[in-house]
Amino acid sequence: MRAKKFIKGVKAFLRLGDYKVEGKKKAIKDLLKKLSRRKIVVKKMLEGSLEKGRKKELKEELEILTLEIKKGKKILYKLYAKTNLKEGITNGK
Amino acid sequence: MKKILLPSILIILGYGFWVSPDFKVIAAGVAIFLFGMLSLEEGFKAFSGGTLEKILQKSTDKLYKSIGFGMLATTVMQSSSLVSVLTISFLGAGLIGLAQGIGIVFGANIGTTTGAWLVAGFGLKVKISAYAMPMLVFGVILIFQKAKSLKGIGYILAGLGFLFLGIHYMKDGFEAFKNAIDLSSYAVGGLKGLFIFTGIGIFATVVMQSSHATLVLIITALSVGQISYENALALAIGANVGTTITAILGAMSSNIVGKQLAGAHLIFNVVTGLIAIVFMNQIMFSVDYFSSVVGIAADDYTLKLAVFHTIFNVIGVLVMVPFIGKLVHFLEAFLKVDSSKTNAGYDTARYLNDSVLELPATSMAAILRETKHLYDNAFEVITHGLNLKRSNIISTMPLDEVIKDSYAQNSINIDDFYNRKVKGIYGEIIDFSAKAQSNMTAEDIEVLYKLKLANRDLVEAVKDTKHLQKNLIKYTQSTNDHIREQYNAIRRDLAELLRNINIVATTDEEDVILLLLSKTKVHTEKYDILANGTLDNLIRNSLITNEMATSLMNDSAYAYDIGKNLIAMAEVTFSDLKGDGDNLNEEMLMSDEEVKTFLEKKDD
Repeated sequence: MRAKKFIKGVKAFLRLGDYKVEGKKKAIKDLLKKLSRRKIVVKKMLEGSLEKGRKKELKEELEILTLEIKKGKKILYKLYAKTNLKEGITNGK
Repeated sequence: MKKILLPSILIILGYGFWVSPDFKVIAAGVAIFLFGMLSLEEGFKAFSGGTLEKILQKSTDKLYKSIGFGMLATTVMQSSSLVSVLTISFLGAGLIGLAQGIGIVFGANIGTTTGAWLVAGFGLKVKISAYAMPMLVFGVILIFQKAKSLKGIGYILAGLGFLFLGIHYMKDGFEAFKNAIDLSSYAVGGLKGLFIFTGIGIFATVVMQSSHATLVLIITALSVGQISYENALALAIGANVGTTITAILGAMSSNIVGKQLAGAHLIFNVVTGLIAIVFMNQIMFSVDYFSSVVGIAADDYTLKLAVFHTIFNVIGVLVMVPFIGKLVHFLEAFLKVDSSKTNAGYDTARYLNDSVLELPATSMAAILRETKHLYDNAFEVITHGLNLKRSNIISTMPLDEVIKDSYAQNSINIDDFYNRKVKGIYGEIIDFSAKAQSNMTAEDIEVLYKLKLANRDLVEAVKDTKHLQKNLIKYTQSTNDHIREQYNAIRRDLAELLRNINIVATTDEEDVILLLLSKTKVHTEKYDILANGTLDNLIRNSLITNEMATSLMNDSAYAYDIGKNLIAMAEVTFSDLKGDGDNLNEEMLMSDEEVKTFLEKKDD
């Protein structure tokens, strides 16, 4: 049991166990950035005068983007909560 | 050949053991050494599940990086054969190209020279059997552990232990052998000796399938003066040429690119060997010069052999690097895919071959690539089945024009297309997956299962297209404007879906993939003409006959299924951009529930 605790401690110190979670966090952050950038572009396009069909299409795209961003943020918060919880356990909190 | 060679070797060995107990010790040393190599290879394979592949993909985009990777990997793993076989496996799975593979093989040839340095500089000067024993004990204990990483470390430790023990026995055997027979009296000088001993080196390496083992044998024999320095150099050249046999054997079960790489390996090592033979005096002079500069004693022939081995391999790489492009062209022209199969019009799997079964990661990569290949063919079948032109779909042509420009006047034979372009490949994927599964972890098997489902989705989409096609052709030529309009709407929707999926399949932008897949999912839900009231409206106003209504209802369901299947396939096949199995987009994609909520909100 002590050995397990020791290995956990070393892993936490070297941040070895979290590399997958960290990688995922980074990937979601990058994706969120891209989606937000696209959302701004779509919003700007919608401000101009557009043909009815195109406007409808862009509106739908904007709604999907909003939904995706919301979803991404939710996943990101969950990942942060997971890391914080793990750090809390390792620190004996 | 095999039938004669194996018994002959066994008889010679048996006779040798009977005649000389010292020979038995040397042979046992070689056997233990080879077993150590096998154990070492097993250990490194345990760590190749992901890490090695990632390093490989990132470090082979430029030639110097490929050479560096080959050098480093061989230095660490002490086996150019393993690196060659793994490279063939990566090539077979389509993870790297032929030029990159050649770079790795060139690097491996330099990396393999570190073995001679280690044995000559460390193995013979230190009593390495003292290190072997604890390594073997710790190694074997770890091999019995359940954890894959511990098992891997165990194999590596035991492998090193056996290598050391093997060297020790070879050394001991030669020392004792020296008292009985003086092999050095059989030394042959001049050009004749050079060719004879090069031939012996080739033969010994072909038999042992390890140039490393041959070199250790040469170095240990040289260290006790059983062979002359000149003959040892010739044997080293032979070992370098003979080592290509492992790659050739590995490539036999590989696809054409694997065979091309084995060809490159053979050409490189033969050319390097010829250079060494032709410029033997000059290279020997540079060995003496280099040795005096770094402080190697003039009579330390084992270290001088290591210097020679390094110099002639480096020269080989320097000479061959400018010709890599030409070498690739030559091999691609010389070793081609058997055209008789493709001429018959039957497409077969491109990436599935036994060589990629070496590693679970390469098997998975090969299956993924093959799924993409199947998608390409299915895309063509579905497009033509909908009487659309593939070139129009993948262009930016407005969709209304895409559906006007028909592929053919009459319906195409989807069954024939399916038999030639889909069925065979699908069967091969399923068969190969079953083989690959046996080496995979539970996690990998889960990913593989999804890939199998993606393949099934593709086949289902093709079959649905077949059902849809009959009425599609009939009603798009109907005189009833309403039914014609409905069927063209189906074609338009599916054309849009195919276009979006094609973009998803060809782009690297994660946000584009995510957006298009979500958008396509939302649009597909609108195909249901029963739910959206279109059908009721057409019947109520007597715009179409009952027969037309039934057909339309069934066919819109087929269109809906095609959409669903293709989206499900694309989610698995194209959304894991980084290829790390950590399918981020899969989590981010809109679920069916979310799509429904999204549409309900819109309706409100």
